[in-house]
Amino acid sequence: MKTKPLSQDPGSKRYAYRINKEENRKELKHVKIDESSLVQEGQKIDLPKKRYYRQRAHSNPFSDHQLEYPVSPQDMDWSKLYPHYKDAETGQMTKKVTIADIGCGFGGLMIDLSPAFPETLILGMEIRVQVTNYVEDRIIALRNNTLSRHGFQNINVLRGNAMKFLPNFFEKGQLSKMFFCFPDPHFKQRKHKARIITNTLLSEYASVLKEGGIVYTITDVKDLHEWMVKHLEEHPLFERLSTEWENSDKCVKIMRNATEEGKKVERKKGDKFVACFRRLPTPTIL
Amino acid sequence: MTLIHPLQNTLTSRDGSLVFAIVKNSILSFKYQSSNQWEFVGKWTDDFDKAQDIKKNVTKEQQRQISENDTKNKKLKSNKGDSIIKTEAKIPAPGIGAPPIYSYIRNLQLTPDESKLIACADSDKSVLIFTVDRASKTNVLKLSKRFSFPKRPNAISIAEDAATVIVADKFGDVYSIDMNSSPEDKFTQEPILGHVSMLTDVCMVKDSEDHQLIITSDRDEHIRISYYPQCYIVDKWLFGHKHFVSSICCDKDHVLLSAGGDNEIFAWDWKTGENLSTFDYSDLIKPYLNDQHLAPSRFQNEENDIIEFCVSKIAKINNLPFVAFFVEATKCIIILEISGKEKGKLSLKQIIDLPYNIISLSAQNDEFQITLDNQKSPQVQSSFAKFIQYNSNDDKFVINDEKSNLFDEVITKSLQEDSNLNAEEDDIYPLYNIASLRKHGEHYS
Repeated sequence: MKTKPLSQDPGSKRYAYRINKEENRKELKHVKIDESSLVQEGQKIDLPKKRYYRQRAHSNPFSDHQLEYPVSPQDMDWSKLYPHYKDAETGQMTKKVTIADIGCGFGGLMIDLSPAFPETLILGMEIRVQVTNYVEDRIIALRNNTLSRHGFQNINVLRGNAMKFLPNFFEKGQLSKMFFCFPDPHFKQRKHKARIITNTLLSEYASVLKEGGIVYTITDVKDLHEWMVKHLEEHPLFERLSTEWENSDKCVKIMRNATEEGKKVERKKGDKFVACFRRLPTPTIL
Repeated sequence: MTLIHPLQNTLTSRDGSLVFAIVKNSILSFKYQSSNQWEFVGKWTDDFDKAQDIKKNVTKEQQRQISENDTKNKKLKSNKGDSIIKTEAKIPAPGIGAPPIYSYIRNLQLTPDESKLIACADSDKSVLIFTVDRASKTNVLKLSKRFSFPKRPNAISIAEDAATVIVADKFGDVYSIDMNSSPEDKFTQEPILGHVSMLTDVCMVKDSEDHQLIITSDRDEHIRISYYPQCYIVDKWLFGHKHFVSSICCDKDHVLLSAGGDNEIFAWDWKTGENLSTFDYSDLIKPYLNDQHLAPSRFQNEENDIIEFCVSKIAKINNLPFVAFFVEATKCIIILEISGKEKGKLSLKQIIDLPYNIISLSAQNDEFQITLDNQKSPQVQSSFAKFIQYNSNDDKFVINDEKSNLFDEVITKSLQEDSNLNAEEDDIYPLYNIASLRKHGEHYS
């Protein structure tokens, strides 16, 4: 008989850990935690441990996953993700998400961006369930542990398929920055449509980005870098930014150093290829 | 019992004098004269042989390997040490139990001047361009071009210039091809736009400022509007569907109608993006549902009472404010009226009962054409198709029995002897494919 994976074996440590964290998530995910409601004052929540969130590294973006997404951007309840930015009187959000990290992985980039853009809402999107759970737990713990200064209230993560449902979340021109950090390279020729940067998808990204908005890409795979640059350069709505611009931009600096993948590449002394593009104004319709 | 294969789809010319019908992998042409006479005027069969195509590729690969081995001075040897010389490449054949391959023909469409007919063939995933020779008595259709695509074309539309065909494929990409160009050996085209989802329908519209737009619908819930030819500029999405969209059609004043896996028909103003109204047909269709509408066993519950139904096709007649649709595997066609006073408001006009399940629906002038799954008809096969016409005197749609019956006759007469168009009950092409588009979210992790 095939043995059950550890995550489904009730005797295993991983199983117990996941159950415990899931309850914790249910309780704390959408709650606005502040000093007054704090029961466990001074109690620190341990940061989640990656080893309990193992999952295979790839997810097929074309298959029918069980996903939750709003019917339209107007139907999205952002206050559940960013309770700190909900106006208690009107019940409306005081801010909109303007930075998106597509395929945020373990969330390293967002966590470094959070203090750099304290007044901006940042959303990570990730398609792998366990990885999303890890980021959620990480944000819950971080928010809880920095209560007094309201840390990390401006970041959160969603499980979703950005290739299919990005327009369900964001209105036209809502985003000012989009990050694509170390995306799945999909080496095989026939898998190229599964890449996150394709000429057809770029039109959708251009539509949710405001004019002047920036697309950031970084990868350690030269082939993929060249592919992304080629497609972005060919797209009429994007223009490449210079190396000088890249060197002076704080996001590029964070992107090079913050993400888990980035650190891994660093350890292995691999190359990191960065390319940034600006969303050009929409031309006159012919 | 051998019977004539049901008609899978029809298309009528604007003046009503030519009717094209798809049976298996053939397109049949019929001429109709106002004196109520039908004439069988031609048959075109897709004789594309997939095996030949595979053989060509396999032989090419073998030649490549042989020349590679030659340059490396390697020789294939048998166990005894004799050298083997391979001459004929082996063609992989489907094993026992492999699913049968059906080579459908889909999406009939005439160019605006009706000089050309466009269709899609599954056999080599191609778009076919025919010239229409109305004078011919035996062969109205002549295949002039065949454009092969990497993925199966699923919907087509014609741009305003009447020379560009917009092709939407099952992989979510949209290509544009010039009918006057010649097909290339190697496919190098880039898509003009794309969804990450199977495309189900496409249509071209024009706004008041003379801009052309492409409307595409997909198996996720999306209806997307992009400019043409600047297809990289997305105008908007129409949000509201909660299940797949299977069919869309346009009306005047920027009205778009869409239907699919939802219980409602949606009416939109594609210019403003507003959802003008929805029409819930779930109660109307209940009496017509049967065992075919039970959810697939994998997604069924213990009580076996999950029912799933979906609209297969929605079609609008040109000059009258009526739109018709049918639910897959049901015996009725539902006609709705689009209100002139309240823009886009839909109300029930009429339900027309039919003797068998509907397979296809198309519209031309003041007439709806439907084809029926008449496998179960008694001895003399009848009711291949019905022509439903608007009668302005009593403001109702009625089946033109005379025309329909005569059409049955001409079909029986001309096809009975044609073994290619006959079928045993077991090898009728699958006729109900839309319900399988429903997503059940079966993939975890």
